[in-house]
Amino acid sequence: MSLKRWKPALALIAVGLLAATILAGLDRLTRDRIALEQERRALAALTELLPAERFDNELVSDWFEHPVAGLERPVRIYRARLDDQPSAAVLDLITSRGYSGDIRLLVAIEPDWTIIGVRVLEHRETPGLGDRIEIRRSDWIRQFDGASLRRPIPEAWAPDRRGGQFDTLTNATITTGAITDAVRLSLEAAESLDEALWATEPDTQALEIPPDLSQNP
Amino acid sequence: MDPTFRNLIWRQGLWQNNPGLVQLLGLCPLLAVTTTAVNGLGLGLATIFVLVCSNLAVSLLRSTLQPEVRIPAFVLIIATTVTVVDLSLQAWWHDLSRTLGIFVPLIVTNCTILARAEAFASRQPPISALHDGLAQGIGFALVLIALGAGRELIGQGTVFADADLLLGPWAEGLTLQLMPEGWGLLLAMLPPGAFIGLGLMVALRQYLIQRPAAVNITDEMDTQTARA
Repeated sequence: MSLKRWKPALALIAVGLLAATILAGLDRLTRDRIALEQERRALAALTELLPAERFDNELVSDWFEHPVAGLERPVRIYRARLDDQPSAAVLDLITSRGYSGDIRLLVAIEPDWTIIGVRVLEHRETPGLGDRIEIRRSDWIRQFDGASLRRPIPEAWAPDRRGGQFDTLTNATITTGAITDAVRLSLEAAESLDEALWATEPDTQALEIPPDLSQNP
Repeated sequence: MDPTFRNLIWRQGLWQNNPGLVQLLGLCPLLAVTTTAVNGLGLGLATIFVLVCSNLAVSLLRSTLQPEVRIPAFVLIIATTVTVVDLSLQAWWHDLSRTLGIFVPLIVTNCTILARAEAFASRQPPISALHDGLAQGIGFALVLIALGAGRELIGQGTVFADADLLLGPWAEGLTLQLMPEGWGLLLAMLPPGAFIGLGLMVALRQYLIQRPAAVNITDEMDTQTARA
């Protein structure tokens, strides 16, 4: 076979090798930085809910995963401790009941099982309607602050459209319901774990970064 | 480079052969992303960058690549460029990549880039390919911004809301609240609104072209035929 026939293939291989080299080099160059940035962001989200003076442990690596009935994926539970005493738990969870896909929430809970605060980390709800769950768009998400499984009573743990006590965002009934249910489920999960929540050993792959929805469009 | 040719490239990219309004290429990112003007601007900037890089690379390799393997090679070049942009954003402009994160991989699905590689860059010297990439990219970005601004205005009554997420804190003042608070027509935000909006823009462009005289129409048809 003549060399001429092989020329196109060789050119393609050369381009492929060049592309692979560039990408491998860039990956080497950026991998650590990206991991660092993601960790910084995860920590920023955690510390937005928990002021730094509330914990003195390695919050980012003190977590374990726990399956919760009603949520498709296990919940990641971070433990904040101050002087080795429990000071707060932060649940990182994903509900798939949103109007357009997954919603990722952080729910911070006091050791007495009342909510410190809830934040939406990632979502794809309708801009202008469902995106008012974000703290920078409206104060709606703050209505969970101070709630617990006893306040309001269990029957009232639902959006007002379903006879509950929480405000429903206009034109975002499904979004509202998904978040309210997910917050209630996380409270129930935390309470039923009780002492085990603080005693469970951290999962081993402690420095792994939580899955990032924005990376999988 | 011949100035008349350069002007032709720019006229083609911005108006006569605009990728968004005439070639109707890259509809997937165009329709999906343009819910706000800032989203449009973000995707527009990323597209310009990828288009310029891939045009340059294709043009530099044009004599090396035989026709049989050019398409796979172009796809490889484009995918590499997009990944380079994505990784660089994540590493060095992390906050920006939070906003643009989902759009950058979408650029791969933009057939404008493959179309320019095939129709232009693979036959022209790098300097022309560079101009073509800029012209087509800016033409595409302008359509994105216009469509985004229109949908944002009708859908939520603002223009350039959240510009600070893309451009930094100084841009907070750019937001214009043109309609009363709480204004919103959901249709404009949903996918049908994107199709209707783009349709109106294409119609407006056709109207502007046909209005002056029949002479321009023939010009237009000439360029279309020449392109085909």
